[in-house]
Amino acid sequence: MASISLKNIVKNYGKTSVVKNIDLEIEDGEFVVLVGPSGCGKSTTLRMIAGLEQASSGDIVIGDKVMNDIEPQHRNIAMVFQNYALYPHKSVRENIVFALRRLKVDEQELQRRLVEISEMLQLEELLDRKPADLSGGQRQRVAMGRAIIRDADVFLFDEPLSNLDAKLRGHMRTEIGKIHNKFGRTSVYVTHDQIEAMTLADKVVVLHDGYIAQAGTPMEIYLDPVNIFVAQFIGSPSMNIVDATLHNDYLQLGEHKLPRNKLSAVSFDDEIPSEGQPVKVGIRPDFFNDKKYFTQSDSSFIFEAMTIELVEPMGFDKEVLFNLAGASIKARLDLRSDVKRGEKLDLLIDLSRVLLFDTNSELRL
Amino acid sequence: MLGKRTIKGRIGFAFAVVMLVCFSLLPFAQILSTSLKHQFDWGNPSLIPQALNLNAYKELLGLTEVKKVEIPVAIQKILDNPKLPQDKKDAIAAKYVANDNLFPFGKYMLNSIMFSVGAAFISLIFAVMGAYAISRLRFKGQVVIQRSVLFVYMVGGVLLMVPLYQMAMNIGLASTMWGSVVCLFLIYIVQTLPVGMYMLGNYFRGIPFALEEAAMMDGCSRTEAIIKVVLPLSLPMLATVFIYCFIIGWNEYLFASVFLKQYPEFHTLPLALQELFVSKNAIWDRIMAASMLTLAPIVVCFLFASRFMKGGKTDGGVKG
Repeated sequence: MASISLKNIVKNYGKTSVVKNIDLEIEDGEFVVLVGPSGCGKSTTLRMIAGLEQASSGDIVIGDKVMNDIEPQHRNIAMVFQNYALYPHKSVRENIVFALRRLKVDEQELQRRLVEISEMLQLEELLDRKPADLSGGQRQRVAMGRAIIRDADVFLFDEPLSNLDAKLRGHMRTEIGKIHNKFGRTSVYVTHDQIEAMTLADKVVVLHDGYIAQAGTPMEIYLDPVNIFVAQFIGSPSMNIVDATLHNDYLQLGEHKLPRNKLSAVSFDDEIPSEGQPVKVGIRPDFFNDKKYFTQSDSSFIFEAMTIELVEPMGFDKEVLFNLAGASIKARLDLRSDVKRGEKLDLLIDLSRVLLFDTNSELRL
Repeated sequence: MLGKRTIKGRIGFAFAVVMLVCFSLLPFAQILSTSLKHQFDWGNPSLIPQALNLNAYKELLGLTEVKKVEIPVAIQKILDNPKLPQDKKDAIAAKYVANDNLFPFGKYMLNSIMFSVGAAFISLIFAVMGAYAISRLRFKGQVVIQRSVLFVYMVGGVLLMVPLYQMAMNIGLASTMWGSVVCLFLIYIVQTLPVGMYMLGNYFRGIPFALEEAAMMDGCSRTEAIIKVVLPLSLPMLATVFIYCFIIGWNEYLFASVFLKQYPEFHTLPLALQELFVSKNAIWDRIMAASMLTLAPIVVCFLFASRFMKGGKTDGGVKG
């Protein structure tokens, strides 16, 4: 059990800088998910924690020990690799107990742990097989078993589910959540899948271009993104961004005028509200509602008679596409709306969920 | 194109294969056949001996009783001369009694095994280290080394023989028996190392690095990761490289003939065979039997090693 702290971590490969400056505190027992698009430095950061890459500068502290120059094998970290990295010449059993054998763990204790882990991951039947005889999901479970059987201070997961099909991914995600609840070890999990990030994390760290764009609880990231990048990266379908103009009393969004005093998610300090300033408006598709099925409140605003251009039924909910102020906007409506393509629909939003971003810096206002 | 095979095509193909196999195997059949024939049978073109003759093998393997050599009558008369000093008599007698027609096959074989297995083993160890370095580590001049490795192999042995011998003379190695032996070892290692490194290097590149990283996360040092993960997975290629080096050493004649000329106790089988061909013992069945016995270890070695050569060992370790 250990906390991790990354202090001004930089990683350069020759002249290209992959991780530019990362400062992060991970508490003991916390489940932190590093999320971001390809090439944002999330895997590199994880590998630096593991010791598989050396940071160009900065300190990595695990527990109370500076780990910069400590070899991976002495860091007491367990890791699950994206491509599983099982030892092909060893049976499942030997794969799982490999680390324990190396540590010369007492045979009885070793067997006890093996039984416990293989029961938990339903591997009992597979113990004598070789990795080549397993399916993708089974291999994934063996890789998990190999990591969690150890008494490691920290668990690292490098996109562990990205090679599984959608159904299995969902299942294993739940399993990883359960395992974390059971063992409560400090875990760092890298993914580009924002659903994994949202569901598993105590803390989500969104990386962008080698920097931390935002770190916070999943709900903070979802409701209070600091900039357009985070707002669009987290949430599916991603947030609608529309150009608008800010006036003294209202926000001009196409032909719609949204009362400015009700935009409670926006903090207007004195400098911003100059008359006619262009801004970007962010509205999540999930916050649109069909007016028919929703009671209006004080902070509601209604976009009247929007022409629905496309309907994508998803089962319980459906995504509809319409045009607002020249942009194509997605809204997610629930089962009850039976709107068809080409029909007109009144859509309701809660103004307290409307976010504004600066046009140039793309930062939240 | 459906790849449909006609009967004619199949027969033609089978015939071609049989011809090719026969062409490759006939010399060996000839060796075996001649080694088993009696003298009267040598002119017979048939591969099957009319009567089986195992004497040559027995003789070579030292299974026959030592023949008592009769001293010719004329010589006996000289020996009986009372005026001749005893030491002269002994010298003359020794010349005729000495069993120098016997071919100490076992000794030559041990020498050959020592040189070829020893050199192959050392070469393999260096090849593993070198191959790992050029395939996994990043260092200055890596590409140059990687490409120039094979260059050594392109230079023929004959070209280097004289300079190498001169160098060995200059540093004084070639003037002693053990020095010459060491020289020959070095030459065999240097000769086989490039190809060994090249083959292993390519094989190592095919083993995902993630496996080593996994071993390191499981508490292994890099060296341990190599020993516990990379080497077991490379067994087929290790066996191949070992056999390659072994065969080169086993069949090598040129350098052995130069460096070991003066040291008959270290003569290897190719050297001994060459001497057998030109000696007064050059009898067909014996030459062929010696050739057969020289061939045998290679065949045995290959059969043994082919157990390790099953491919696809790295399957299933990683995905994607």
